[in-house]
Amino acid sequence: MNWIPQLLEIAPAANTADNYLPIAIQLIFAAGFVAFMIAFSAWAGPKRKTSDKLENFTSGIASHGDARQPMAIKYFLVAILFVLFDVEVIFFYPYAINFKELGWEGFFAVLMFVAFFLIGFIYIIKKGALNWED
Amino acid sequence: MNAIIFSALSGVAMMFTGIFTTNKSAIRNVAVIALLGLIIVNLLHSYGIFVVRVNTHSMLQFETFGLFFNTLVFAATLLFVLLSGKDVTNAGTYGAEYFALIFFVLCGVSILTCYNSLLMLFIGIEILSIPLYILTGADKRNLKSNEASLKYFLMGSFSTGILLMGITLVYGITGTFSIEAMRPAVSVGAPNYGILEPVGLLFIFIALLFKVSAAPFHFWTPDVYDGAPTVFTSFMATIVKAAGFVSFIRLFDARAIEMGISWKIILPVIIIATLLIGNITAVFQQSVKRMMAYSSIAQAGFMLFAVYVNNDMSKEGILLYTAAYSIATIGIFAILTRMKDITFDGFNGLAKKHPVLAATNAVFLLSLAGIPLTAGFFAKYYMLAAVVKENGAGALWLVIVAVLFAAVSVYYYFRVIQAMYFKEGEPEITEVSGGFKTALVMLAVLIVLIGTFPSALLNWFYF
Amino acid sequence: MIPLLLILIPLLGGLINFFLKEEKTAKGWALLISLATLAASLAGIAQSGTLSFDAAWLPTLGSSFALSADGMAKMLTLLTAVSFPVIFIATNKNNYKNTSAFYALMLLSQAGLMGVFLSADCLLFYFFWELALIPVYFLCSIWGGERRIAVTFKFFIYTFIGSLLMLGGILYLYFLTPDHSFALKSFYHLHISAKEQNFVFWLFFIAFAIKMPVFPFHTWQPDAYEQSPTAVTMVLSAVMVKMGIYAVVRWLIPIFPEATAHFDNLVMVLAIIGMIYASLIAIRQDDLKRLIAYSSIAHIGLMCAAIFAQNKVGLEGVMIQMFNHGVNVLGLWIVADAIEQQLGTRKFSELGGLAQKAPGLAILLVILAFANIALPLTNAFVGEFLMFNAVFQHNIWMAVFAGTSIILAAVYTLNMVQKVFYGNTVPSTEHAIEAGSNTRAMLIVLVIVIIVLGVYPKPMIDLTNDTVSTILAAR
Repeated sequence: MNWIPQLLEIAPAANTADNYLPIAIQLIFAAGFVAFMIAFSAWAGPKRKTSDKLENFTSGIASHGDARQPMAIKYFLVAILFVLFDVEVIFFYPYAINFKELGWEGFFAVLMFVAFFLIGFIYIIKKGALNWED
Repeated sequence: MNAIIFSALSGVAMMFTGIFTTNKSAIRNVAVIALLGLIIVNLLHSYGIFVVRVNTHSMLQFETFGLFFNTLVFAATLLFVLLSGKDVTNAGTYGAEYFALIFFVLCGVSILTCYNSLLMLFIGIEILSIPLYILTGADKRNLKSNEASLKYFLMGSFSTGILLMGITLVYGITGTFSIEAMRPAVSVGAPNYGILEPVGLLFIFIALLFKVSAAPFHFWTPDVYDGAPTVFTSFMATIVKAAGFVSFIRLFDARAIEMGISWKIILPVIIIATLLIGNITAVFQQSVKRMMAYSSIAQAGFMLFAVYVNNDMSKEGILLYTAAYSIATIGIFAILTRMKDITFDGFNGLAKKHPVLAATNAVFLLSLAGIPLTAGFFAKYYMLAAVVKENGAGALWLVIVAVLFAAVSVYYYFRVIQAMYFKEGEPEITEVSGGFKTALVMLAVLIVLIGTFPSALLNWFYF
Repeated sequence: MIPLLLILIPLLGGLINFFLKEEKTAKGWALLISLATLAASLAGIAQSGTLSFDAAWLPTLGSSFALSADGMAKMLTLLTAVSFPVIFIATNKNNYKNTSAFYALMLLSQAGLMGVFLSADCLLFYFFWELALIPVYFLCSIWGGERRIAVTFKFFIYTFIGSLLMLGGILYLYFLTPDHSFALKSFYHLHISAKEQNFVFWLFFIAFAIKMPVFPFHTWQPDAYEQSPTAVTMVLSAVMVKMGIYAVVRWLIPIFPEATAHFDNLVMVLAIIGMIYASLIAIRQDDLKRLIAYSSIAHIGLMCAAIFAQNKVGLEGVMIQMFNHGVNVLGLWIVADAIEQQLGTRKFSELGGLAQKAPGLAILLVILAFANIALPLTNAFVGEFLMFNAVFQHNIWMAVFAGTSIILAAVYTLNMVQKVFYGNTVPSTEHAIEAGSNTRAMLIVLVIVIIVLGVYPKPMIDLTNDTVSTILAAR
């Protein structure tokens, strides 16, 4: 049972295959838990089989029309812009970790990076990409 | 480095020009000024004067060859903007943005001419390609333009995936991205990396072959060139393609030995296939634009000789080829944008109605066909000479095959000349200004000058 | 300096001619320029020895703008310089749409031809070799007959393929030269192994054979001659085919002596087959232009065979005959043009009895016809005699077969004379009149040249003597 202390160890000394053992165990646990829960509920839950349950809409009203509704293109634009600017944040994580080591040079590099994003932001505002009404 | 920074900043500047003004001629003027600035900055760099000094951590390595190529490409772009600037702003809704994208492409080009790390190769190719996907689809209401754009994007991203796969394999086995460090002479004891490295390199080469539209990776070219607005086809077929070759040569410089004998067999096969498919298919085209697309594949076949032999002569050759081919193609496409009917028959009788257009177009076509006294002759001459110089009698068969295909190319280039000069017809043409004609004549004179004194251009290379 | 002038005068004159709007001025200017070229050429002949000119052109490539005029080059530049004014005067009455461009292109082609004959640098030679073709391509395609576009294109593609193959050969030799130079001298001093010679020889020979043309590369020629405007046909057959012969003598034989010795019989057999074949077809022709075209193939075939006999007599004969064939064929074309311009037909079946209507033209044509058959006292006799002699020395059987072409030549030439000028007049020739005074004057000049050179060929032999000895020494 000497792997239990290892499980509790937070920072591994070196990157060897052994160190990935806890992760592997965790993966097995996660997958096993999901599989177990699905299997268990299927086995333990009550079952009533009727043909109505295989219909699309079972709320009592016969289905009609198309489920796909036209949506304003603006949603897509905003969504894609959100993704774009959201990705920016990801780059701050590595910067935050290496903040000290990178020093001023790194600071200016990141500043430039932010400045470019800001320029992009100004550009889309000026272009009217975020105007909802037109 | 200065060219990279300046082109990126120019791109940003162009974006904002579009916000502050909708005056098309003002936008063009800004673009021309920015291009002039770009050329000056790059020339200053070639003479050792830096506007900004940046430590690139040897990710980039600047050599005369690459810098000279930059100058050449920027100058070609300047000619392109001077000649077809109006068409750029009229290609779609966003005049200024197209210029911005062109500057971003140039940024990609200037990375590709000096990369020293496979990562920079990847970034360069991406910066080069993504604006092109957009430019291809610039004509938003045109179904063909949309199709071309989507096709280019899908195929392009696929090839980028292959490029990444190749880089990954090479990195995995050598442990470095630097092509300099991979050089067998540099790496201590010349380690044997086994099979994975050639496989990785092969993947990278496939991606690059795709970019330069060499057979059998050429299938996107005709559709994309045909579908894209004609101005951007002109830009794509010349400047971008040439940049692809330079990146190819850089990589090959360092890594060709690793590929060994097998590569010396693969590449001639690719060259001949490219020449064959490009030339033979071009013969059967009815539209001049599509013919030019196939002819650009055929010309790529000739440019691949520079990759195949890779000596001093071929490097000079690729520079000359870039200049000759770009000038001629830009000119032909500029005339093509003015034609209402872009089939061969649309050119019937052009010489009578518009003698200047016809005469200059004839010079451009003669240059592409490689007739002496035009730049195209020396471009081909250098390529063939490089092959003979490197391989002697052993490569003479390749030279003979190449010249036979050059003779085939005469067939379709001369069809346009025949239509213009020897056939009767009423060509429909949009209004051409005096400035446009002057620019065309200047291009034609430039072609003849380079064709008479190629050393004048190449002497720059030896400064 | 004179070699440079010979190229520059027609080149600049031609470029200026593009901008002359008036039809009369364009014609006058072209004539003036061609006469100036003739004067320069005569001045060159007056000076003894080899004239040369050298200017830096592409030092990095080892190529220079080197021109040199030895005996053969002087003789051929004289032929070129004589032909153009004669053509201009004889066809003065012909009207062309866009006259200035026509004459401009004619002068440019003259510049190209001069360049070919004068270059002493292989890259320069290649340049001019192609450049002489481009103006002719435009001339034939714009002003030619009905099927001009396709026919001229065939002609162009043929010669272009040939010259590209030659480019491959030139490059190969260039890298063999120790100092990487295109100069004629460096090429002459090359020591090429027999195996290489046998290969590269063909790259050059095909280019030249297409131009001459030698059987089986001749198929472009009758069509091209027929469809071109006659003034251009004159240039093509009087001067341009000499490019091929000239190139074989200047470049092929001295550079590839072993290959020449190796393939001489093959080439000679091809040439002789061509002679007999072309003569036989000429007999069956109904078209004046096509007949002259095939007759030209036969004569060129003999020259080709004589060169490959590789002896002194043969080369001397070729030298004389190059000039004489140019003069004779020029005369024949002028007659053909005079008839076509006046009567609008070239078909024998629609011609006849012209001698009654145009006795002057008839007498001149008969003399030209005799020269074409190479009867004694005409210029062609000397050349053909020497050449047959050369072939005879080389191989008796070849000489026998080649000899039949003399008989065949007599058959088709006299047949032509008889059908066109004698017999009864037909409806189309009822109202024929004497040819114009310009035409007759030029024909008289040519006939005088024919007879003078037929009686006293020594100056021509002396002029080209230096080239013959150089070529034989290089072997």
